[in-house]
Amino acid sequence: MAADENNLADRSGRLFESQKGYDPRVVLFYFIVTALLIVLTSGLAYQQLFNTELHAERESSQNQRRILIPGPRGNIYDRHGQLLVGNRPRFAVVLYLDELRAKFRAEFIRIRKNYRAIDDKDIPTADQLWTLARVSVVQSYLEKINAIIGRDLKVDSVRLNTHFARELLLPYPLVDDLAPAEYARLLEHLPVVSPLQLYTTNTREYPFGSAASQTLGYVGINEDVTADDFPGEKLRTFKMRGSIGRDGLELKFDSMLQGDAGGSIFRVDPLGYRIRDAKPIESRLPIQGQNLVTSLDIDLQLAAEAAIGDQIGAAVAIDIKTGEVLALASKPDYDLRKFAPRLGHADAADITAREAWTNLAIGGAFPPGSTFKILTSIAGLRRGVIDPTQAIADCQGAIRIGNRVFVCDNRRGQHGEVLLPEAIAHSCDIYFFGAGRLITPDLLADEGRRFHLHQRTGIELPHETGRMVIPDPAYKEKVIGEKWFPGDTANMSIGQGYVLVTPLEMACFAASVARNEVFTQPTLLHNPDAPVQRTESIGLTPTQRAALIEGMVGTTTYGTASTLNLDLFKIPGVSIAGKTGTAQKKVTKDGKTGNINFAWFICFAPADNPEIAMAVMIEGETLGENFGGGRYAAPVAGSVLKKYFEKKNRPADQKLAPFKIE
Amino acid sequence: MPKRLDQARPFLTLGLVVAAWLVIPTVFKTFTRASFFELTAPVGVAASYARDLQEYWTLRLHSNSELIEAGRDLARLNASYDLAVQQNIEMQGEVARLEGILRLPSYSGYQSEHARVVRRDFSGWWQRLTIRKGKNYNLTVGAPVVFSGGVVGRVSEVFAYTATVDLISSQTVRLAAVVEGDTRPISYQGGLNPTFGSAGGVIEFVPLDIFASANATKRLVTSGLGGVFPPGLTIGSVIKVEPSTDGLFKSGAVKLDDRLAALTEVTVLLPLDTP
Repeated sequence: MAADENNLADRSGRLFESQKGYDPRVVLFYFIVTALLIVLTSGLAYQQLFNTELHAERESSQNQRRILIPGPRGNIYDRHGQLLVGNRPRFAVVLYLDELRAKFRAEFIRIRKNYRAIDDKDIPTADQLWTLARVSVVQSYLEKINAIIGRDLKVDSVRLNTHFARELLLPYPLVDDLAPAEYARLLEHLPVVSPLQLYTTNTREYPFGSAASQTLGYVGINEDVTADDFPGEKLRTFKMRGSIGRDGLELKFDSMLQGDAGGSIFRVDPLGYRIRDAKPIESRLPIQGQNLVTSLDIDLQLAAEAAIGDQIGAAVAIDIKTGEVLALASKPDYDLRKFAPRLGHADAADITAREAWTNLAIGGAFPPGSTFKILTSIAGLRRGVIDPTQAIADCQGAIRIGNRVFVCDNRRGQHGEVLLPEAIAHSCDIYFFGAGRLITPDLLADEGRRFHLHQRTGIELPHETGRMVIPDPAYKEKVIGEKWFPGDTANMSIGQGYVLVTPLEMACFAASVARNEVFTQPTLLHNPDAPVQRTESIGLTPTQRAALIEGMVGTTTYGTASTLNLDLFKIPGVSIAGKTGTAQKKVTKDGKTGNINFAWFICFAPADNPEIAMAVMIEGETLGENFGGGRYAAPVAGSVLKKYFEKKNRPADQKLAPFKIE
Repeated sequence: MPKRLDQARPFLTLGLVVAAWLVIPTVFKTFTRASFFELTAPVGVAASYARDLQEYWTLRLHSNSELIEAGRDLARLNASYDLAVQQNIEMQGEVARLEGILRLPSYSGYQSEHARVVRRDFSGWWQRLTIRKGKNYNLTVGAPVVFSGGVVGRVSEVFAYTATVDLISSQTVRLAAVVEGDTRPISYQGGLNPTFGSAGGVIEFVPLDIFASANATKRLVTSGLGGVFPPGLTIGSVIKVEPSTDGLFKSGAVKLDDRLAALTEVTVLLPLDTP
């Protein structure tokens, strides 16, 4: 050691030795070091100056997390401001798992220590111990809640683990259906600063239960909440579940009703736990979606549904001037309250078994029966083959057309030589067989297409069927592969055979006839300043139109819908122009084949200055049952019309204020 | 010892104390803290008694005629209170009768414990009172505290002869309230109040059909649903409600009674076990 020190002293006498003179090996080393430093500096500069954004992004994605909270959906109102669909708060008590890191760790150590103390050979794996620790800690918090609200709840370990693994930063709901009294107790008993917090979510509220259920539609769970203008798209994002429209107006106007999601961006530690007491980097409150004001009148809707009762059928009421749909009823239906917060399997199966998912007013195509005779009448009058002052057929109760004998189904007797008004009022089939023959099927089909009966109405609802048919010889040739027979013309002229329409189409047709025009565009959106719809005129002379209306009024006064003359349906000072219909369809039920009837009624009122048009279709359930439109469908319309004019004639001080959203 | 090391001795000592404080058991720290409060409590209590004595001598300076007038006013007040007490007894009987008919559960009864205020501690973080009763009167943590104007707050700490009350203006106090005339519970919590400013609080989860403004205030009262406060006690006046962005509720501001900052006597309500 001493020798070494002497050697050092001998060489320089200093702790550090300096080299003087030229040494090629050292110079080479200088170059190498310099080159390395240049590479290092350049690399550093490159990373700092040119890759700044990349590193900032990586840093953010590593230590920041984004939470999205969906905005509540907008409300749906009827035309008078009655809430049809709203939001109901649900109070929950939640636990912020990301604030419990230390407790989980301590519990993990305690459990492991216990296993080691008893020298258990089957000590669980670390993952299992962590699960036990988490369940134990969360259960201890749940016990506090149980003690306050008097319940006996247990932690679902599977759900807890899933939440921990996937949604650590989201609050873990311990109880999500607190009653107001429980919520109040927790307010006063829980500390203000605690991982346990009271929380509110929302679910859809349906004040009228099943009313207009298929029209309003329902919502389902939306796992993919988005917030387009909220920063941090590339960050790991935790999304709270929202809702999305699945049917009806909820589906059609989903983008409008959907609220704007709120959110927060938090800093987290390397294990993903939120940094304690750190305020969010970004935060935005969720905003409720836009409200929707429908054209429905809930009183008329309820009246229509009550009148249909337990029968299968549909009823549509339309404001003649604007085309706004006042009622769109379909039975069977379902109770929307069962969808909040979510529909159970048993309830879904029940709806399926009752075939209640379909909105029959728009989703079912049915033969219109004798209501189609109004179209046949218009076609005949326009083509000049029907003269209101002359009889075109002599009804003797039956007529041979081709190889078939067609009977007059109405009155089961002989109408004799009737004029157009009586033929409409009594729904004389023989008269319209003759009219159809004179019109020809092609021109009759043209008239149907002129009234847009061959296509969807375009109402703002999903699942409007496209199965409506206004047949002609070309159609039969193409679809059925057979040629057109005279009997087909006879059937078509009375709305049977291949003719298929929806109740909504027939309501639009009735509204169009009332306005003396060929098309009514239905809408479910209410516009207080909506202009009167104007389309092409039907093209009848005043005399022809007077005869047509006389026949329709006769239907409800002395004809097939004279049930509307009963005191139950009579509306003082209001005459109703209508037309009944009964169509048959061959079906097989319970192994038996036979006909079921569809009872129809279309109308508008008042006949002299029309305001409201309706179409009602009731489906018979029993094979072979006589199921006439005047007996089964007209009373439904009568109830709705009575409610409509009752509301209209109500004193001013009892009327609701005009609708306004704040 | 080198001079530099000698100069660093205070820092070394401080470091050792801090290190010792960090490693000594929590039990010891808790004991020390509690002892500190217990030892300093008599100072506050003595000051409170001194103030009472001061007031006594101040009152002694009044003339006989002033005392006679005050006595007369007090007698009238007592008479009106006696009447109110009788009416209350009658009403309690009626309530009990109706509860019996409707088979409703009775509200929990309370034992009143009146206490003088020793000290007020108002900061930006908390607003507290120290009262002159503690474990010696069986006060318990969480017990509601009231005064003639309504709710004062809740007992947050109980010592041998004193107790600390968190005022309802403090952010640590939250209770279930209702707007007078309504039955739906809403959340009231103390606000962020300046030390010498007027006290206020915030309300949340207010139903959308509740309206109030500075010109048309609504009385906010305890709901009785929370299980801590009896129903109907005044919390304050709702001076503002605004819809929240989510459209589900409103939130608003509550103005509290100015007398909260000058209380000299409060009543602690101790729940009685229902039979």
